Amino acid sequence: MIRKQGIPGKIKQKHKELEYTTEVNLSDNLDENKAALQQAFSNCDDLVVRDLHIFGVLPCVTAYLDVLVDDTLWDNGLLAPLMLPEKIESDNPAQLIEQIKNKLGSVAKPEIASNLKEIVQRIVKGDVILFIKSSSQALRFSIKDQLHRQLEEPSTEAVIRGPQIGFIEKLHINMALIRQRIRTPYLKMEKLSVGSISRADVSIIYIENKAPQTVIDDVKQRLAGIDMESILESGYIEELISDHPYSPFPVIQATQRPDLVSASLIEGKVALLVDGSPFALIMPITLWFGFQTVEDYYMNFIFATMLRWLRYLFAFLAFALPSIFVAITTFHQEMIPTSLTLSLAAAREVVPFPAMVETLIMEITFEALREAGVRLPRPVGQTISIVGALVIGQAAVQAGIISAPIIIIVSLTGIASFLIPHPGMSQAFSLLRFPMVICAGTFGLFGVSAGMIAILIHLTNLHSFGVPYLTPLAPFNRSGLMDVLIRAPWQIMHKRQNKR
Amino acid sequence: MILNRIFFVSLISCLALLTGCWDRKEMDDLALVLASGVDLTDEGQVEITLQIALPTGIPSSLQSSGKAANPIVVLSAAGKDSIDAFDQLQQQMSRRINLGHRGVIVIGEKYARQGFDRILDTLLRSSESRYNSYIVTTYGTTAKEILNSPYQLELIPAIGINKLQYNDYSLSIQIDKFIDALSSFDKEPVTGAIRVTKHGSKQQGFILDKAAVYRSNKLVGFLSGDELKAFRLLTRKFDGIHLTTQMEPPTKKQKGTISVQMIKAETNIHTELKNGKPEVSIYFKAVAKVLSNDTNMDLSKTINRVEERFSEDCHKAIMGMLSRTQKKFKADIVGIGREFHIQHPYVWKKIKNDWNMRYPEISIQLITDFRIERVGRTQAPAQLQEN
Repeated sequence: MIRKQGIPGKIKQKHKELEYTTEVNLSDNLDENKAALQQAFSNCDDLVVRDLHIFGVLPCVTAYLDVLVDDTLWDNGLLAPLMLPEKIESDNPAQLIEQIKNKLGSVAKPEIASNLKEIVQRIVKGDVILFIKSSSQALRFSIKDQLHRQLEEPSTEAVIRGPQIGFIEKLHINMALIRQRIRTPYLKMEKLSVGSISRADVSIIYIENKAPQTVIDDVKQRLAGIDMESILESGYIEELISDHPYSPFPVIQATQRPDLVSASLIEGKVALLVDGSPFALIMPITLWFGFQTVEDYYMNFIFATMLRWLRYLFAFLAFALPSIFVAITTFHQEMIPTSLTLSLAAAREVVPFPAMVETLIMEITFEALREAGVRLPRPVGQTISIVGALVIGQAAVQAGIISAPIIIIVSLTGIASFLIPHPGMSQAFSLLRFPMVICAGTFGLFGVSAGMIAILIHLTNLHSFGVPYLTPLAPFNRSGLMDVLIRAPWQIMHKRQNKR
Repeated sequence: MILNRIFFVSLISCLALLTGCWDRKEMDDLALVLASGVDLTDEGQVEITLQIALPTGIPSSLQSSGKAANPIVVLSAAGKDSIDAFDQLQQQMSRRINLGHRGVIVIGEKYARQGFDRILDTLLRSSESRYNSYIVTTYGTTAKEILNSPYQLELIPAIGINKLQYNDYSLSIQIDKFIDALSSFDKEPVTGAIRVTKHGSKQQGFILDKAAVYRSNKLVGFLSGDELKAFRLLTRKFDGIHLTTQMEPPTKKQKGTISVQMIKAETNIHTELKNGKPEVSIYFKAVAKVLSNDTNMDLSKTINRVEERFSEDCHKAIMGMLSRTQKKFKADIVGIGREFHIQHPYVWKKIKNDWNMRYPEISIQLITDFRIERVGRTQAPAQLQEN
């Protein structure tokens, strides 16, 4: 189950040097500590190192990264009380530290640090360090500047009904969003750091006794196996801990919705939150997860069931429609009703390319238009869609380069791929239609069925953290199908969950 | 490991792609045959006529500006057998003949009378021929003329014939049924019969109002009018059959007729062996609804009389049809032999080879039962209220 997270040796050595590994204890000399720190942060102009006398008399040095620290809190909450003249109770460093801690109370969560490595890591995260004269221990305060954007509805997973809130780039706010939904001590959030240069905080979230211990251990083990310099987005982790990084199908779900994460946790899944990424990862998932939205559970179950079938149908169309069209029109004309054959043939009359080439041209054009639409700024994006729809669609047909039925097929496929709610799943299905079209163009319906069988074999071989990808269809589980073939009403689903 | 896999996949794709798309046929490289006809020339050759659709001639939104081209082309060629004729046709065509959409096969009367065997194999063997195409026999004309005659209602005449058959306005037989009857001892084949009509001076068309009766593989005659209706009723192809009877002598005001439409028709054929001779009793039960009443009768009171009259009419028509098939055609097109086969399988084995000879001699009893279920009106007809 567990795979080695391999990274070529060269890079490994290079970043070993970069990593600040000196497990040096602090000296009791202020200047030495200062020098060590400045060496570690050489050329970091945002590092502020200041000499000051606290309580009017005691010489100290503070160090922090200017850009990460909340200025108001630093001035009013920390400096102001410390700068007031006060009698020093004892010369013993330990007692001194105790006095400072008492003085500040709980304002900035003062904690003791005695190791240079820890201090460097803390400064990088936005802590303020206070070195005290003739003490080999330092105090650190967490007064991070909470730079973050407003909570808003995720644009990629909008719902009509349901909470209009999404994750943001701050880990602890994201954690709070989940805590607010699941109010129980059984909700566990374990923090880890991943990445050797940029230490990203990763939080493993699960509900004790609900999530299988094997999956939790598996996730932890794989996270520990990650050997990367930096983790900037949860996408890195998704690929690094995936069971099948070479498969187009996602075996880990990424979402921006806290309600989806909470619902998955209650179902016994494990979630990962990465600091700096608004996308949570949910594992293990099955193929069907890609076709479900949270909204299915908020609306009438009959309508939700209809929507699910609509998605299944269009997912099938998204990867099979162009290939079936190509196969039937170039190999099995007798399968089409006569009148349709005649109009298809009439449309093809002036077209110079074989149907397969035609389809590939239009499919590639469509993918290009889609990509262009995503990348361009919104106002320009609209121009692209007009140019795409009018110029390419209309003109290509009128010029006799592409036949009109192909345009219909390609646009239908395009719409179909947008019906799959999970972007990863949608990408997989859009990608697979290209090999399918080639199969269809070379072998007809035989090629289409061979391609489908190949995809099915691949799907049955996939696992997500030990769970077969096609569960509950294969291995078969009748009660599990209640949430796949239909969206069973809550009364029934609730019973099923309790039984489990 | 991965390198191995890549090597394997590229080998497989080479295998797949190097063969090329050898079976590929683009739609604009096909000559879509919608109907084909078979005739016998005076020299005794087989003449094949194909009605081929021309996609360019089919009006679409893109070509609406130009003048309408002819949507079909009709080509004929004669040869030693049908394959030979097809070859000659193919040599005139830049597109491959494709029989996948052939919906109608027209058999010329002359050819049918001479016997079927020379083209039967071509119909059966080619994987492109479909078993659900309709087969019709011409009446008093050739297949070539039928396929060359224009048809107003449809863009393509072949689709017109196909729809006429599909809608069951007359007898419609698909090729699988025809071949089934042709190849078995216990039934003789029939097909619909088509002839050319002339509307006015120029306008030509065709009409399917007869049935062609075959004996083994040769055409022996045609059924039409009441006989055809009786045949369709007896073989349960009663869709859209209307029956009209004269209930009262015509007066100045009224014709005295009642018309009904069939709702249901059931036929039970019971066969017996008496003194080594098969005896057949047919029980025919029909249900109908009244469509028009041009008499002075109030149907709510006199329905029994009407039913009796229709029952007599049916009896007369069916017996007439049966005696014609026995005496004139000597062809068991109703499939009495098949019923006998089912009911007396062991006796059948002994007599199946000379069923053709025995059929004209067997005695047939017929009981008809005709019921009218719906009078079709809630009030008495207006002419009755007047009185």
